[in-house]
Amino acid sequence: MEQPVAKFPLRVIIATLAFILLCLASSIRILRDAPAHANTDPIPNLSDLRFAVLKTALPQQGVVGYIGESGNAALGQYYLAQYALAPLVVDRSTNHSLVIGNFPMAQPALPPELHLVKDFGNGVLLFANEGAR
Amino acid sequence: MALALAACLCFASGFLIVSLAWERQSSDLLLRASLAVGFGLGLFSVVFFVGRVFGLSHWITVDFVVTAILLAAYLPRRNRLSPTPSNTEQILPPWFRHTLIAALAIALGCALYAAVRRALAHPHGDGWDAFAIWNLHARFLFLGGPHWRDGFSPLIPWSHPDYPLLLPAAIAHFWGYLGHDDPSVPAVVGFLFEFSTVALLFSALARLRGSTSAMLGSIALLLTPSFLELGAWQYADIPLSFFFLATLALLHLQDDEHSRLGARPGSLGFLVLAGLSAGFAAWTKNEGVLFLCSLVIARPVILLFRRDASNDPSGEPRARQIAPFLLAAAPIFLLIIYFKRFVAPPGDLFSALGTILHRLLDPARYSTILHWMWSTKAFVVFGQWALIPAPLVMLGYAFITRGKRRIDRTFRISVLALALTLAGYFVIYVITPYDLLWHLRFSFVRLCLQLWPSAIFLFFLKVPGRPDATANAS
Repeated sequence: MEQPVAKFPLRVIIATLAFILLCLASSIRILRDAPAHANTDPIPNLSDLRFAVLKTALPQQGVVGYIGESGNAALGQYYLAQYALAPLVVDRSTNHSLVIGNFPMAQPALPPELHLVKDFGNGVLLFANEGAR
Repeated sequence: MALALAACLCFASGFLIVSLAWERQSSDLLLRASLAVGFGLGLFSVVFFVGRVFGLSHWITVDFVVTAILLAAYLPRRNRLSPTPSNTEQILPPWFRHTLIAALAIALGCALYAAVRRALAHPHGDGWDAFAIWNLHARFLFLGGPHWRDGFSPLIPWSHPDYPLLLPAAIAHFWGYLGHDDPSVPAVVGFLFEFSTVALLFSALARLRGSTSAMLGSIALLLTPSFLELGAWQYADIPLSFFFLATLALLHLQDDEHSRLGARPGSLGFLVLAGLSAGFAAWTKNEGVLFLCSLVIARPVILLFRRDASNDPSGEPRARQIAPFLLAAAPIFLLIIYFKRFVAPPGDLFSALGTILHRLLDPARYSTILHWMWSTKAFVVFGQWALIPAPLVMLGYAFITRGKRRIDRTFRISVLALALTLAGYFVIYVITPYDLLWHLRFSFVRLCLQLWPSAIFLFFLKVPGRPDATANAS
């Protein structure tokens, strides 16, 4: 028994070729936007590597406070600190017995209730807040 | 070695789930394999989360037991499967077919190159959500041990502790084998979801429509620059797009099965898989819950317009058609309810009902959203295509290639479900507690990309329209 053969109209073939060409135009953008160099990720330096030594001085679980710089980059710095210090919960507040200080650029004036426990260098500090509830 | 074992068990369990429900032994190997990736990762995440709740930690043992159970269920069924009917695809001129294949090869090569380069450049993902939400939750699940619930503390509301856990729990499960939180795992999981979505799109279209539609659809998805970019970000939007596509594809496969072979007792495997896929979507992101609800609503709306209120033309009661879908989604839905009730704090979207009502009744919010969409054309340019945006190209292509297009019930249900999901997204923007323009700018493109593979699938199911078939005289 003969298989029915579907005829493709010329307009379908031309339209399909045009569709393919227009899609392929984006391949140039895809190739152009692909990163040229491997491992340009700043995240390890801002998170795991930055807080590696501090993490060994902290308890494995629980909640610690956090104080950092102000400005546009401050929120990202805080998120990366939490990422690095998990499973510890890092609360952006000084109302905890231990408070992490994160000052990559410059250390602002600190609240008087914070007492320095240890300076880990590179703007990473650990404070105690004995008045914390 | 440990990672390889985890990958094998994950894939094997996913493949067994898919094969258990598969209607016949067939050459649908790519289709089953692409579904197996997502289903395996989904099952891995469920096993890990349930294991955490019950304090389990010997993941190799647990996974071997789960895989053994699935294998024991699959082996008796294996001999009763029947062969696939032959594909009745239209015959293409050889040069045209070779052109399509070459274009697909170029698209795949470009996409793979870009994805690998992005993963190597940003092993921790790009953008904030990877380290602030998904991988952070994975770290709490894995590193927290008995204190894993600390990761869902209301003290860190910016990490969205109410977000479902398919991605974090699957990642943490692999870390459980390695013994440490290797950043390559989330990158590989993201890569797998990204390219399994493409493989699923290709193989589903090939099965339902033929290789021409499959190649065209895959080219359209592979050459969507923002789809590739988002895949490397390690966000949950691409995994969600996988499960959206899987659900709709499986619903159409069920329909296709009935139209080829008629309704047979027990022939509801694809419906079960579709329900499971919809459940996994809800376990991936909150938008998945919206999608599941949209599907459940879309079906009776479409059926309302059919003359026969009780039975499908196949003779099968309509209640029997929906029951396997809902029953398959139910266990994961119960898991989500448990997570939301006993683990996660309340979400930020629905916290103040009075404020929500106020926003719903504020016409300025609606006009802000519509004005932003119109001025940015984000619903057209979300893919960051060069030259002409693909949605416009596809519209033109559909017009030029118009032919016979039978619009069946499942297609209507699928389109309506996607439309309802989009409408739901619109309502979310109306009630959002965040700055409205900020929320639109940083999420709308991702919402479009969640639905994009499904939109391509539905498009190429019907386009190009079928030309007239004429018998060949010898």
